[in-house]
Amino acid sequence: MRVPTQWLRFASAAALVLGGAMAAQAQEIKLWTLNFANDSANQAFQSIIKQFQDANPGVTVKVENRGVDEHKSALRVAAGSDQGPDIFFSWAGLGLGGEFVKSGLALPMDKYYAEYKWDDRFLPVALTFSKQYPGGQFGVPYTFHGEAIYYNKALFQKAGITSEPKTYDELVAAAEKLAKAGIPAFTFGGTVNWHVMRLMDEILETECGAEKHDALMTMKASWAEEPCATKAFDELHRWTSKYFLKPFMGIDQSQSFNLFLAGRAAMMLEGDWLVGQLKGANRLADFAVFPFPTGGKRLYGFAEYNYISSKSKNPDVAARFLDYLESTPVQQAHLGDFGTISVNKDVKYTSTEPLEVAWRAIFGGYDGTFVNGDQAFPLNVTTEYWRIINQVATDSLDPKAAAGELQKFIANSK
Amino acid sequence: MNGFARAFRQPGLDRVDPILVILWVALIVVAIVWIAPFVFIVFTSLKANSTVMGSSAFAPPTSLEWRNFAGAWARGRFSTTVFNSAVITTIKVPLGLLISAMAAYALSRIRLPAGRAIFLLVLFGTMLPFQVMLAPLFTLVNSFGLINTKVGIILPYLAFGVPYQVFILHGFFGEVPKELSEAALVDGASHFTIFRRIFLPISLPVLAALLILDFVATWNEFAMALVILQDNSTWTLPLGLMSFQSQFQSDYGQLNAAIVMTVLPATIVYLIFQRYFVSGLTSGAIKE
Amino acid sequence: MSIRISAPTQGLVLLAPALLVYCVFAVYPMLDVAALSFMKWNGLSPNAQFVGLANYVQVFTQDPVFWQAVRNTVLWTVMSVIFPPAIGFALALALNQNIPGRSPLRALFYLPVIIAPIAVATIWRWMYDPFFGLFNATLTALGLQGLIKDWLGDRNVALYAMFIASVWQTVGFSLVLFLAGLQNVSQTLIEASRIDGAGRFEVFRYVTLPALRPSITIVLILSIINSLKAFDIVYGMTGGGPAQSTQMLALWAFTQAMQLGDFGHGAAISVVLLLITISIVIPYLRWSRTHRETNP
Repeated sequence: MRVPTQWLRFASAAALVLGGAMAAQAQEIKLWTLNFANDSANQAFQSIIKQFQDANPGVTVKVENRGVDEHKSALRVAAGSDQGPDIFFSWAGLGLGGEFVKSGLALPMDKYYAEYKWDDRFLPVALTFSKQYPGGQFGVPYTFHGEAIYYNKALFQKAGITSEPKTYDELVAAAEKLAKAGIPAFTFGGTVNWHVMRLMDEILETECGAEKHDALMTMKASWAEEPCATKAFDELHRWTSKYFLKPFMGIDQSQSFNLFLAGRAAMMLEGDWLVGQLKGANRLADFAVFPFPTGGKRLYGFAEYNYISSKSKNPDVAARFLDYLESTPVQQAHLGDFGTISVNKDVKYTSTEPLEVAWRAIFGGYDGTFVNGDQAFPLNVTTEYWRIINQVATDSLDPKAAAGELQKFIANSK
Repeated sequence: MNGFARAFRQPGLDRVDPILVILWVALIVVAIVWIAPFVFIVFTSLKANSTVMGSSAFAPPTSLEWRNFAGAWARGRFSTTVFNSAVITTIKVPLGLLISAMAAYALSRIRLPAGRAIFLLVLFGTMLPFQVMLAPLFTLVNSFGLINTKVGIILPYLAFGVPYQVFILHGFFGEVPKELSEAALVDGASHFTIFRRIFLPISLPVLAALLILDFVATWNEFAMALVILQDNSTWTLPLGLMSFQSQFQSDYGQLNAAIVMTVLPATIVYLIFQRYFVSGLTSGAIKE
Repeated sequence: MSIRISAPTQGLVLLAPALLVYCVFAVYPMLDVAALSFMKWNGLSPNAQFVGLANYVQVFTQDPVFWQAVRNTVLWTVMSVIFPPAIGFALALALNQNIPGRSPLRALFYLPVIIAPIAVATIWRWMYDPFFGLFNATLTALGLQGLIKDWLGDRNVALYAMFIASVWQTVGFSLVLFLAGLQNVSQTLIEASRIDGAGRFEVFRYVTLPALRPSITIVLILSIINSLKAFDIVYGMTGGGPAQSTQMLALWAFTQAMQLGDFGHGAAISVVLLLITISIVIPYLRWSRTHRETNP
């Protein structure tokens, strides 16, 4: 049966238009991220996505928020199936995020870095994490965080502490003064494991110095043979037995924050995101912050990245969204929502809020960072690291034996 | 209450036995302790967070914070999780019972090659803790592309429901007089017809009991759902509660409201269909 | 038109759906676990590597948590066989007496059984909250601050604290089974022995207890099997903590495979748990078969 050619041409043109329209309508990208404790981040995403969708008709961005552990589990599962996200949030450290990159689940983004000129846009210290894997540049910086000690001004005053500790010994002395005034120095949430770990990481940096600390975390040095490692566990034990608000092992870190707000302890080792939480609780005026006095030149901090999945069907759209998210106007408009500073280096800071000013000074005062332990180690070593820290913290492992235990596990796992 | 008139007396005797009275009082005390968790949860669910942190734990709420429920409902995505739980349970429970009944009939009333071996294989499944197979189950369902789908969770649920139900029904069907089915067979009825027309109707009480037990077990299932339903839009009620707990542990009022809402459906079903629970349990026991 | 389908074929048709789904989704994963225990696989890459007994060696000699998990699992099982059945038995005896309100009381004790274990975990975790939970608040109100504990954060207490929650949930189960058994004890026998002058305790020892033997056996076996499955409660209350001190075999296997990405290691632990279960179950199956044959 002969079909007139005009019909054919019309039909194929219609099919193309329809198909193209449907393809355009079918452009959905899924973004998997955390349910941030700082709710302003969650809300910022909603409004940014809306603006992006308005500016890019035919594209929908779907966000899925999860708690920290669930997000990690979901990523592992998605890695083995076709049901994964197009963009996923991950911590940029070699250990935690590295697992996915090393098994080929993150897309190398060199062409997008060239297209959008990202190398010129981001803070160098945040950018370094994209280059730590062979095979290209992976991921786009999302936030850069530092962690420091927040303290309750009234409680410090009550204990007679007149100046912020600048050395480790001064910090210990301050804790002593607080103890004498009947105030626990720190509050921590033990159930989440990574909270108490932060103190351990800081003590390690203090006792071992930058190079040895790195060697220990990359497992090139032996924990059993470095005396500073044992000293660090000893110090950790001193803090947990004398200066922690008890009980701490059975509560999580959001409960410890409630206790901190209620003035049950003087200090909390937290990240810059806490400023947003304090703002949400209307308590900015009662607290101040100073960096943990490790005596070194590195700030305790880490970067969070957004990676494009190598299984994504719309990587170009995903890249476009990430570019939008990290663009100067968007970052400027949402300053303070994701973290105290933006990874975008062209953003201008005008806030005079004392805590935010303090953080900018902190960030400016260091030229390097060391990451949280659980981002440096592979997963199974992290689990053991947490177990040993918790055992030392609850007096069930002699601190002198702790480093040896960890090394035994590391040796077995290689 | 009629019970009181003749209560506290030993069988066959007329005087009130003081030991029984003491026993009863002790029981009441234990019962109060037993129900205390529920009371505590309900009270806390109706308090605002600041009240929870400020006032005594067992003080009844002075003003009822119904907002906790609305807040928990939204934050815990209850509309999604309740819907998912309902769909999965409504499909799985009758379907599972049907295939189990068919299998039980076949195994108990028809001579099958390797019938005894198959029955033992199925019986073995009543003892298997599926918790040891979570990871392989995940891999298997994933290989079918069924992760995050209702089909993907229903199939394993069916698989693990088969052993116990087949076991119970096998025992029950075994008791049906041979003459009943023989007469029908002589009349030219197929086994399908006998099953449908004779065995299903007479086993209605047992089926009802198994249905109720399975409904609750499926509704409450957590571990397998944790592994197979990763996308939070597919979550069931137990998953929703666990996620709520891990993220909003310190939002005490809402946390307890979430607990109340999670527990309520099964509680209502139980209060209405109490006797089926009991008969379901005991029919399995007595058949030994 | 009628075609004679043979009886066995009809039987196979009736049997097929259940058998198929059971074999694919229950039997196959069990075999897969055994196979996986000899491999190294991270769950992500398409290839698994055969490593022989390496996983087992690792589990038995290099896993610092494994033996703790074994101890906890065994302890939990032993406690589950003793306490809930004992309490259930006592309650059943009490509820079997001529006292008012038996039905509502029985309903009340059974209620926790039908609550999702994960909800039980959440309820009790909240009650154990060190600062605002019911227990510590009660102790403080009674002036007993010295007894305050970090119920789920103190490794000496945590496992037992979780177990109490489990008792709350499972007592109703043995209660109902024992009550049914008690109600099947012949009343005429009891009254006859009463008339013969037997006191309360003699009746119990010589009439009731022997008649209850089948019920006791069932409750014990079901308690063992159910306790080996303990997963939801541990996951929801402590996640295995503090410092992996409340870890149980099923949860540790899950953690290794699904959270740490070491499927082979997790499979080896699963096989150990499976073997423990089988070593209890097979003797029981044999015993119950012979028992059933002699006592129809």
